[in-house]
Amino acid sequence: MVLFAFAAVWLVAASVFGLITSLKFHAPNLLAACPWFTYGRVQPAQLNALVYGFAAQAALGAALWMIARLGRTPLLQPGYIVLGAILWNLGVKIGVFGILIGDTTGYEWLEMPRYASPILFLAYSMIGIPALLTFHHRREPTLYVSQWFLLAALFWFPWIYSTAHLLLVFFPVRGVLQAVVDWWFIGNLTTIWFGFIGLAAIFYFLPRLTERPLHSNYLALVAFWTLALFGGWGGIQHGAPLPAWMPSLSTVFTVLTVVPLIAIAINFKKTFAGASANLKENLPLRFVAFGAVAYLLAGALNIADSLPQVNQVTRFTFFTSARTQLFLYGFFGMTMLGAIYYIVPQLIQKDWPSGALFRLHFRGAVFGIIVCVVSLLLGGVVQGMSLNNANVPFADVTKSSLHFLRMSTLGDLGIAIGNFALALNFGWLLVRCCRECCVPIVAAAAKLETAEVAR
Amino acid sequence: MNPDVNPSRTRQEAEPTSGSAQAPVWLFVLVAVLAFWGMGFLDNYGGGFDPRVYEPYSARTEVERDQPSTRGRERFNAGRLAFLQYCAPCHMETGLGNPANNVPPLVHSEWALAEPPNRLIRIVLNGLRGPVKVDGKDFNSDGMLPWRDTITDDEIIARILTYVRGNGEWGHNASEITAEQVARIRDETKARAVQWTVDELLKVSEK
Amino acid sequence: MNQGPLIFLGVFFALALSWFGLVFEPQLQLGNAQQATNVVNPTQLYPQMRPGQARQGLDVYRSLGCAACHSQQVGQTGRTYDVTLTDAGTNRAEVIAALLKVKPGSNTAEVEKLAAGPMPQTILKNVPRAVADAAVAKLEPTGAKAEVKIIPTGPDITRGWGKRRSVAEDFLFDQPVMLGSQRAGPDLADVGSRLPDANWHLLHLYNPQILLKKSVMPPYRFLFEKRKVGREPAPEALKFSGEFAPERGYEIVPTDNARQLVAYLLSLRADAVIFETPITVARPPAASTNAPAAAATNAPAK
Repeated sequence: MVLFAFAAVWLVAASVFGLITSLKFHAPNLLAACPWFTYGRVQPAQLNALVYGFAAQAALGAALWMIARLGRTPLLQPGYIVLGAILWNLGVKIGVFGILIGDTTGYEWLEMPRYASPILFLAYSMIGIPALLTFHHRREPTLYVSQWFLLAALFWFPWIYSTAHLLLVFFPVRGVLQAVVDWWFIGNLTTIWFGFIGLAAIFYFLPRLTERPLHSNYLALVAFWTLALFGGWGGIQHGAPLPAWMPSLSTVFTVLTVVPLIAIAINFKKTFAGASANLKENLPLRFVAFGAVAYLLAGALNIADSLPQVNQVTRFTFFTSARTQLFLYGFFGMTMLGAIYYIVPQLIQKDWPSGALFRLHFRGAVFGIIVCVVSLLLGGVVQGMSLNNANVPFADVTKSSLHFLRMSTLGDLGIAIGNFALALNFGWLLVRCCRECCVPIVAAAAKLETAEVAR
Repeated sequence: MNPDVNPSRTRQEAEPTSGSAQAPVWLFVLVAVLAFWGMGFLDNYGGGFDPRVYEPYSARTEVERDQPSTRGRERFNAGRLAFLQYCAPCHMETGLGNPANNVPPLVHSEWALAEPPNRLIRIVLNGLRGPVKVDGKDFNSDGMLPWRDTITDDEIIARILTYVRGNGEWGHNASEITAEQVARIRDETKARAVQWTVDELLKVSEK
Repeated sequence: MNQGPLIFLGVFFALALSWFGLVFEPQLQLGNAQQATNVVNPTQLYPQMRPGQARQGLDVYRSLGCAACHSQQVGQTGRTYDVTLTDAGTNRAEVIAALLKVKPGSNTAEVEKLAAGPMPQTILKNVPRAVADAAVAKLEPTGAKAEVKIIPTGPDITRGWGKRRSVAEDFLFDQPVMLGSQRAGPDLADVGSRLPDANWHLLHLYNPQILLKKSVMPPYRFLFEKRKVGREPAPEALKFSGEFAPERGYEIVPTDNARQLVAYLLSLRADAVIFETPITVARPPAASTNAPAAAATNAPAK
């Protein structure tokens, strides 16, 4: 619960950063006087806030809930978990602050300075170990699909996070190997960690909210193992100053991930078939369904992008940021938001106060994501083709994609509005919750006192 | 109808279960097909898993072929064989020398890579004695053997030196040496019977 | 699949696989990379460590997050070969016959002009390696000397962002290595040879729109100090023209950070020729045979 609350806050923060960065493209003089807000710092700050502030915490919150529910056992050691959540937030705050003041490490997706990452690691263990214990003590021996994914993800994160930090920040490897480790980490974090937890959530909520069984356990099994084996190799780009075999190996394995993608697609489609009536009634389901579609799209784009012929056009363009947006916001963000909207009322036994804000969030998010992603995808392709044409002077290259950038800013605005709506709703809910629980307690205490005084 | 914002509170669904539909066989066939494609792709674009092969090259031989001193590849290879026969016993096949025995390395040796190579040819013909600094490290050798009388064919010496100077694996890419160059130096130094010392060598002008 | 430990093992194996393949194996191959020999100047190893100011500039580059918009990797999509005649030799008739065979479709007059003209003359352009080698093989026995020139090709190279692709050696001593993944701004791998003027860079950092009107790069005014002009303008003050200059009596002076950053940018070059990046460049002339012992050769020299 705590995790979700923090996640919502960071989502807002990330959207604010995102807006600023997006605006800076067409108004470079915005906030130019302050080194804290230079694009080179705000963009990593936004990314880290989104990834570690929102996405990771939402992931952990949803994972804990699903593990507990599927195991039919209450969470063990909740105190540690709450402490871990607080520590995690402290770490992210320090990290983002560190980026803004210029202590960035220089590695993509790992920009948080070295004094912040051990905090995150410690916080993770305080959350992850109770999660494992809860899993171990489950009363339901049969494992559901989501549990495989969650168990895998629980182990995966500390391994890749610690490896990346050890090899990049604390005992850096030589030269261009740093880029290799960095890209390996990013690929594993997105495709595997976020992918697994997001898929676990979709595999959980899609059947549950449509009240049908998941189509095929075997397909899910195939998807799990093929994704685990093939998914961790992606991320090494073809133009990089690396021997030819590294990007090629990356490409081969990324293309192989079409197999889990197909398996998952079949599963989604067959499970969901004919249940579209539920969509109208069930708003969390809408989020999750959007996330499912976005996953398939993002996966397909990932595979296309890894082919050298396509990559020649799309590398170094906004196409790659669009892909990341689609994955992080479109797939993972929406799925987690659906999970949050479903889980929170269950946890505190209260309804969301405002259906209107809920719908606003959904509409804002959908509008924002579609506009943002599509415009950046197109803009990226245009930019890439101009980049490859040496006759186009560079100034014109950026200019050609400026219209698309402006549209994407509009999209960012939509997303930001949606996120604010969530924050408002959440805050309102918390206030109501506290008022209902705390006020009677306080009142009772006050009555007790007055009673005593009266005696 | 107003969509239900909080469906969970009104109905408690059961935990999800999974059905047992079979995974389609063609999916596994697809894995095999893609694996086959992948192997072909790696053949073409994988550069032989060689750390020194970058796109757009697909094999080390192609890169070597494009090196400046690859005209005369046969000389290079013949030089390698001769190097292994005459020089490797002391300077090692790796060219790293034997510091314990005061044998300096040839890899990254400024003496070996000097341009023009007159001092180098002198060293080979008459040997070297005394302290010498190679690649920043000091060596004090009792003496490198003279090869003047052992290898009388200038072309062989030229090939050996071409190999040493042009060995891509050592990162060398210096110019080739011709038999004429060796012959000329042999002629200039025909009166000399003792090994060179570094001081004497440095006095030799570059010719 | 109901066993937790089974999943754990499987997951561990899967992660270990990708770790071995993409982290460990590259470390084995490149982890102990040493400096390579520069083809053109074989006694100078490549790369050299960046000078002190440039190393501090690397830190400024990292801290400001320049890699968010600028990449530092030049790509190459192919290579092409030319054949040039460097010496027509003495046996003109045979040379001409060979040239006619090598250049089908040309007539005797053109070929004679080639053989007679000032050397070097390009005989063949943009041919595959095999064809180039065959041409050279045909010409050599006639006494003429011909060379195969290797020219890397690719959009980055055509744009002038580098003469050849970036390779691992180029980043040997950098910490952290910031290859960048966006090109909102041009690639910087070779910017030191493309834009060697420190003043240009200072002006550009202060306000990119002075030099490039359509630039979307934000101005980095905080890297500079605006102060009153003393008795004379400071030598390092930026020289403006017209509208961008500060008001009378004030000058813009770069701070240390700006100077370091510019030093770093000027040190960014990717033009050394090493084994992994074959490219034909003009060789510096070898020391003349009559010159006294030059310092260029043996390190033990004075």
